[in-house]
Amino acid sequence: MIKTKKLKRSDKLGLLEAFLFLDFVKGLSITMRNLLRKPITTQYPKEKITPPKRFRGKHGHFVYDGEEPPSLKAIQGFMSFEKAKSRCVACYMCQTACPMPTLFRIEAVQMPDGTKKVVRFDMNLLNCLFCGLCVDACPVECLTMSDIHEMSVYRRSDAVLNMDEMEYIGATNAKAVRDLPDRIWRDDKERETLWGKIKWNF
Amino acid sequence: MNDIIFYAIVIAVKILVVLGVTLGLGAYLTWYERKFAGHLQVRRGPTVVGPFGLLQPLADGIKLMTKAPILPRGIDTTLYYLAIMMALIPAVMLFAVVPFGPSFKFMGHEIKPIVADLNIAILYVFAMGSMAAYGTLFAGWASNSKYAFIGSLRKAALIVSYEVVLGFAALSVILLAGSMNVFDIVNAQIRSGIWYIVYQPVSFILFLFCMLAESGRVPFDIQEAEAELVTGYNVEYGGMKFGIFPLAEWYLNTLGLCVIASVLYLGGWSGPHIFGSFSGYIWLLAKSFGLLFFVIWVHWTLPRYQAKDVVEFAWKYLLPISIVNLVFTAFLVYFKV
Repeated sequence: MIKTKKLKRSDKLGLLEAFLFLDFVKGLSITMRNLLRKPITTQYPKEKITPPKRFRGKHGHFVYDGEEPPSLKAIQGFMSFEKAKSRCVACYMCQTACPMPTLFRIEAVQMPDGTKKVVRFDMNLLNCLFCGLCVDACPVECLTMSDIHEMSVYRRSDAVLNMDEMEYIGATNAKAVRDLPDRIWRDDKERETLWGKIKWNF
Repeated sequence: MNDIIFYAIVIAVKILVVLGVTLGLGAYLTWYERKFAGHLQVRRGPTVVGPFGLLQPLADGIKLMTKAPILPRGIDTTLYYLAIMMALIPAVMLFAVVPFGPSFKFMGHEIKPIVADLNIAILYVFAMGSMAAYGTLFAGWASNSKYAFIGSLRKAALIVSYEVVLGFAALSVILLAGSMNVFDIVNAQIRSGIWYIVYQPVSFILFLFCMLAESGRVPFDIQEAEAELVTGYNVEYGGMKFGIFPLAEWYLNTLGLCVIASVLYLGGWSGPHIFGSFSGYIWLLAKSFGLLFFVIWVHWTLPRYQAKDVVEFAWKYLLPISIVNLVFTAFLVYFKV
């Protein structure tokens, strides 16, 4: 609960304030107190903050590894999945939910035995605004977001995320983020060095 | 004949030392201000170039000098270049009448550590201050840009407000000392044993106000107002042509006026002899850097005035106060109270 402090001030300065520059001294004391504080700068390329669990970074695909939700177990007979490969079912729900649908390029083919196989899942991250709606829309908990936020590239074509990379992210970074407890910061030690101890209300 | 050569060499050495010290200090004051401002805002300031970012002024200089020279269309070329000189030269010339310490004997001659020992030094300071304003005015006029022009118009409004008050504020000290020579003023303070800030606190505060206004520091930096005027009068300048303006106005001018203020009010180089023969220089430097610290501290604390408010404030309050103070001082001096 934030307490608001209400101050009553008259339009004109009092006699004492006007002659002793009291407002002026108050302002100067605030900056002097800041001068004596430790800087809170994170020197970015040298030291990096761990993003919180709910951070929405580069996308990943969770792989087919036996930890599927029931919604996928019901239809996995119709799909041609491989172990440690993407568990996408090409339902196009992510594209439907996306505010900029053209950034997705999803293609699936029918295998000779009648099952469905996803052959292409490209995301053009230059158009992505990282709202996370695609992740919410995914019915099989395949599409996810990791904590990767350093995504600068030299060519525009490099900004397109393909399925191999998403599988890798899903198996490493996204999995690590998923298994964390739901706290805003990944580790308190890291955060306390920067912003001090925070009291949690729950 | 020998004497003339000796004094010529002495003056050349003085000029070289003063130029080197002031320009070097001016460059390093940028580092000092950035570091100080950073820590005031709980940041670190420059840290990357050299230990504690100490080589940052060098890196800045190289960056500014290697920039592509771009001249905006429709400028008045003569005034455009003249403005740079008009900003820099008076700011450096200000140091000609700055006494850095007491006079000493060297090879049988008495040498004063000052480039030009004028008997109207304080008047000269005011003159150079007024000349420096022309740099700002010319820059705004020659740039053919509305932001720069508004900036220089605001500077014009500022000049009419601070110049008169500055004169009246310093005049009361001149009355007390009975001289415009900086050596006489300091010696008078040393003789009486009391700094003039004790006799003239009101005048000191007025002088501080005018000092901030003349050097374009907050709360009177209305001519360069980053937020509204995209740095104002020097917006059309690039590279080192731009770098000269802050160097001259924010650093050299401020430093010069701080030294003059410590000479006028804080007793110049007077102080206990605890550093041997260098104590005079060290005391003067300590006092002027204390004032400079205060100026930069104020710069990074206060918001800025509106142009009309500065004029109103100066003419309605500061000028009457300074005149009353001056008349009061004149009475005291005349009747030898």
